[in-house]
Amino acid sequence: MFALIEQFYIILPMTIVLIGAFTLMILSHNKSFELKHFNLVAVLFLTIALAIVMIQFGNIPKGYLFEDIIGKVFIVDDFALLFDIMSITGVILTLLINTDYFHSRSYFNGEYFALLLFSLFGMILLAHAHELVTAFIGLEIASLSIYALVGYHKNNHVSSEAMMKYLVLGSMTGAFFILGTALIYGVVGSTTLNDIATYTNGHNNEESILIIVGATLIMVTILFKIGAVPFHGWVIDVYEGSPFPITMFMASTFKIAIFAIALRLYLIDFVSLHGQWNFILQTITILTLLGGSWLAITQSSIKRMLAGSSIVHGGYMLIAITSVGAGSQIAVPAIMFYLIAYFLSAVGAFGILSYISASGIKQLTYEDFKGFSERRPYLAIFMSIFMLSLAGFPSTIGFLGKFYIFTAGVESEQFLLVGLGITTAFISIYYYFKLIAMMYFYPKNEPQTPIRYTFSSALIVLMAILIIWGGIGSSLIPFIPSADALIDIAKGAINSIG
Amino acid sequence: MIPEQFFILATLLFSIGLVGVVSRRNLFIVYLSIELMLSSVNLLLVTFSRLDQSMNGTVMALLLIAIIAAEAAIFLAVIIQLYRSKRSLDSDKFSQLTQNKGQL
Repeated sequence: MFALIEQFYIILPMTIVLIGAFTLMILSHNKSFELKHFNLVAVLFLTIALAIVMIQFGNIPKGYLFEDIIGKVFIVDDFALLFDIMSITGVILTLLINTDYFHSRSYFNGEYFALLLFSLFGMILLAHAHELVTAFIGLEIASLSIYALVGYHKNNHVSSEAMMKYLVLGSMTGAFFILGTALIYGVVGSTTLNDIATYTNGHNNEESILIIVGATLIMVTILFKIGAVPFHGWVIDVYEGSPFPITMFMASTFKIAIFAIALRLYLIDFVSLHGQWNFILQTITILTLLGGSWLAITQSSIKRMLAGSSIVHGGYMLIAITSVGAGSQIAVPAIMFYLIAYFLSAVGAFGILSYISASGIKQLTYEDFKGFSERRPYLAIFMSIFMLSLAGFPSTIGFLGKFYIFTAGVESEQFLLVGLGITTAFISIYYYFKLIAMMYFYPKNEPQTPIRYTFSSALIVLMAILIIWGGIGSSLIPFIPSADALIDIAKGAINSIG
Repeated sequence: MIPEQFFILATLLFSIGLVGVVSRRNLFIVYLSIELMLSSVNLLLVTFSRLDQSMNGTVMALLLIAIIAAEAAIFLAVIIQLYRSKRSLDSDKFSQLTQNKGQL
């Protein structure tokens, strides 16, 4: 039990994000405020929240917030705080790296930043949820904000269409989530994760058949949100139809938040159901890896290719989730490491795309990158680094991420999945290196207007440095924490979940 | 009260909703079908709550109604937006994103 004042201190980051969102909403009616001021205010609030979470991380014992009022609904542990750090950092980077894009498009205004902060609030709630209805509320707060953001360019038909597709399918799978919750409530009489775990541990599978059904329905929603293959129909269209900052946000930050709840459910709640699920998860993993690769290969637009490849990356993480059920120890830290690795690479790649398209309105295809290295030699180098990292080339952080995932798979003897994962990693070289080849080995087909160096380009450089730093590993640079330290932090956070 | 009747009713409503989402083209009917699915789950929760002699399920149903209302706001907004762009709510007409692109 925490003291009352301590509880308010723990909830402070969340409150700051929420206050920031409301402040931005109120400010958005003020005509004298410009876009860069809104951006600054949003980043300011998020930085304060991030600083507080950083201080809290590792210094707060595991416990429940306001336990005497709302029961064991809102959990505080290192696992949730680590995901808080990752999500808040993700939103800050999304805001900063797209500065140029915001200024080049007339449809962005103050509410846009408010919606992003509301979405972040939902994600933080999701990471801390220790009860299924709370998790659903967090998920819906995050998703509803994202629906609105996808259709933010309201005079663009494509944007509205993408929003419609995401909204219809997203709400439908949301109904599955609460159906699962209702079934579990009917059996257990409570929806807190502790009670469910106690029930499943004390009863055999015959008696908890309704829990298996309910948990599977909840898993369907989670798999839909991360875009696993039988539920992937929306991914490419929605990613293409939404503005670049939102695509980046969905591909990286939202996925992190979804994995927070997926891991929590899978690790505490449904431990005794691992046997039932392993076959389903293995099948879905195989389909996701193959289907995502096929989708990524067939695209000609870079944005659609990255959307397809994000499905494949979800597939790699599903390999590790399957390994958790098969008894691997390193699997969960591997997922968290892979999330960070994918986050860095995807934000970098989408950041370059949004930076380039800030000076034009064209959809970027492979053809547009012909001779890119002559026009923009430095950007071409950074783009190559991001592509190498996404493909999992050694000496980048993407390689280490895949290495840990496959280690987890081998540890739990999932040789088929690991073999398939390595094969799709080789296939992915085709569509990532095609871009590198376009940039370096083709003459430029048309002159383009030069792009200014701005704040966004500085952040792109930072991402590239982080990727290399993460890929080099531990021993080379003294006194600076490295990729191994990240794995250790993740392991410590997993132990707190217990 | 016979709980089985309520379970059967909730199952029927959920299934009707699901079929409606899958088979109907008009976006407004799709939206109403999703509402039907969510409301049938509410019925299920309230039935369980009554069987359990506790108020937990009823409170959950109330919370879910709030979420459903928020979803309704976004749905109606996008329906108006789409109607303005094409003067129709037939979901087959909104296929700009899928044209001539590689699909699974």
